[in-house]
Amino acid sequence: MSNAPSVLRGRPARIALVVVLALVLLAAPLFLPPFANQTLVRIGVYAVAVLGLNIVMGYTGQVNLGQIFFVGLGAYVTAYGVNHDWNIVVVFIAACAVAGIVGLLVALAAARLGGLAIAMVTIALPIVGVPLAKRLDEFTGGSQGISARFSDAPEWSNLYSDQWQYYIVLLVTVVAFLLARNLVRGKYGRAFGVVKENEAVAASMGVSPYRTKVLAFTIASIYGGASGFLYMAAVQYTSPETLSFGHSISLLAAMVIGGAGSIIGSLIGGAYYVFVPQLTNAIDPSFTTASQGAILLVVLFLLPQGLVSLPRVVRRLTRGRTNRTTTARTTTGSNPPQTPPGPPPATEPAPEGLEKTERQDRS
Amino acid sequence: MKSRKKSGGVLGIVAMASIAALSLTGCTRTAPGEGGGTTAAPGITDSAITLGVTTPLSGATAGPGTCTVAGVQAYFGSVNAAGGVKFGDGKTRTVNIKAYDDAYDPQKSLSNFQQMVSDNVFAVTSGLGTPTNRAFRDAAISAKVPQVLVMTGDPLFSDREESPWQLGFVPIYQNEGSAFGELLAKSGQQHKVAVLYQNDDYGKGYVEGFKEAVQGASNVSIVGEQTYEATDTSVDAQLTQLAASGADVFFNAMSITPLVIASLQKAQQIGWKPSWFLPSNTSSPTAILQPGGAAAYPGIYTVSFAKAPQSPEFAQNEDVVKFLADLKQYGNYPDMPAFPHCMWSYMVGATLEEAFENMTEPTRENFMTALRDIKGLQAPLMLEGTAVDTTVDGQPAVSSVLVQKYNGRGYATAENFG
Repeated sequence: MSNAPSVLRGRPARIALVVVLALVLLAAPLFLPPFANQTLVRIGVYAVAVLGLNIVMGYTGQVNLGQIFFVGLGAYVTAYGVNHDWNIVVVFIAACAVAGIVGLLVALAAARLGGLAIAMVTIALPIVGVPLAKRLDEFTGGSQGISARFSDAPEWSNLYSDQWQYYIVLLVTVVAFLLARNLVRGKYGRAFGVVKENEAVAASMGVSPYRTKVLAFTIASIYGGASGFLYMAAVQYTSPETLSFGHSISLLAAMVIGGAGSIIGSLIGGAYYVFVPQLTNAIDPSFTTASQGAILLVVLFLLPQGLVSLPRVVRRLTRGRTNRTTTARTTTGSNPPQTPPGPPPATEPAPEGLEKTERQDRS
Repeated sequence: MKSRKKSGGVLGIVAMASIAALSLTGCTRTAPGEGGGTTAAPGITDSAITLGVTTPLSGATAGPGTCTVAGVQAYFGSVNAAGGVKFGDGKTRTVNIKAYDDAYDPQKSLSNFQQMVSDNVFAVTSGLGTPTNRAFRDAAISAKVPQVLVMTGDPLFSDREESPWQLGFVPIYQNEGSAFGELLAKSGQQHKVAVLYQNDDYGKGYVEGFKEAVQGASNVSIVGEQTYEATDTSVDAQLTQLAASGADVFFNAMSITPLVIASLQKAQQIGWKPSWFLPSNTSSPTAILQPGGAAAYPGIYTVSFAKAPQSPEFAQNEDVVKFLADLKQYGNYPDMPAFPHCMWSYMVGATLEEAFENMTEPTRENFMTALRDIKGLQAPLMLEGTAVDTTVDGQPAVSSVLVQKYNGRGYATAENFG
């Protein structure tokens, strides 16, 4: 009885929140300094790449160490299309499609292999990709790389280029995140979850682990391609260095740190990927690798679930403290202390957590 | 509870709206081009000027990258300690160098450039790497920020029409190839040349320069030409073929250290002992020639424009002694420099100082004009016969190189071939 009106009342508040968020996102670039916009643009680029990685690794549990290859592929397709004066929408579709098709072909073979073998196949992608990009210099510009400028603000928009780029990236990123959110909450998301937990169980329920893995891998590749398109919008230049294997590992680290199996975690991961080099540069440019390693270790030790779990952990810690003080006061009594005010743990986790339990219930 | 929740939402909206309103009134962007004219550009005051360097300070290219910062820091550290640079407008300024690590990642170098713009850096200089410099070239042009005296052999940076705000420092690949070709052409003897090159812009640049120089020289004929890919792990097949041509000179435009060592060994095994030409970045006496057994060949040639501090010939040289002391004291680089980039970046410092002394207005336009007007500057550490010349379109700041011959320990300038 009392629940229904609260949901109804919660809904307008939620809508209002979304509207405000949308307004803030839309208005932000007009007020922020250029460097902040440029940083936000790069966060969008990598958030989409991390999101793709999250779909295949975080949600479906398949190790993918080659995500940067698809980012690079998308970037090269974008550069090629732009330099051949294709329509920009066609370029975007081509970047996603080429990456998706290559991802599909690789996945058809790789998903037959179990566990670590699939990781080995994906390692091969960037390792093959770099020399390939150097050799196919008709398409890629060889080791000197290739420039493509399509994201400078047009005259009529009356915007600065960084603002224009922000809106391009915002559009693609928001659509990508909404699609991913719907995907992982729906039928396929549940299939991903079952395959991750236990392939035999999945098969017994009529969910083909092979097809599910191929699907997840292909979607991740399409996200990689989209991220490559955004990369070109932001950087306007790509070279074989873009798809070097080390960046794939950095993307993986960003995903784990943001929060594996979490949509918001992907956004945080993208922010981590962009902010940490900036931060370590400010600390001491000669020790960037060491300080990045230290930050990685600290986050993993304190928040093994990723940065997305920070609010939950903080809440648990503060509650734990109040609990302890209450216990200390009531040690003489035999009754356990009353739970202090505040919602019980089961009902309060972030939307992601709720979603997870729902999924587990149904499987 | 419920009403509070609702009011929380409303409160949030109000809060957000007020934040937006505050930022509206607080921040307005200055129009671009406002820094032009006679008002000072960002990064330069009456007492100081700030320069930025984005270069690999971590990862595989960190060694040379660190040098590109250390050299210029050492140079201006010493200049600042003596009071600073007296600019052409009569003011004396100290020069601050801000370093940024890009790990040889183009995306990071662009991000560093954007950060430099927001940190108010006057000009970007000395950074190493072709892809990393290319990544922010367009951005530097549209922001009208000088990106000068960078360490790349890519000719694009010295093309004034294409790159109005850029200038390369080190010789382009073609310069190196042609220096050797010229020496060979005037040797007065008949030479048969075998050519092996990396199948990319690097190798092709060397060969282009070499062929241009020997064009029309009746005493030089190219008898064999082979390529390899940068990813190849062996060039034995190419070497065997080239050996069969009976060439007495081997022009090897190779950038991969282990491959150069392997080729030096392989050619000896198959009994082919020509004179070699090697590019400046793969001709290190200790790292390449000694392990390759180079003493077996009649001559190993390379090119250089910097005095090598390791060489006994220069151990007591005034420039070298001061350079090593500056590097230790101001460059945070206590060891003997392992890469020539330390010396090059020190020369970048000297070239910049020369440009500063000729700057009559504290603007970027004026700086570019002053920088493009340096001729015959003998920067410290430069070999006799080489000089900084920024006045030629299509050429980097240093385009003159001297052919060097290996003498068993180090290199000495070769006046004649043979």
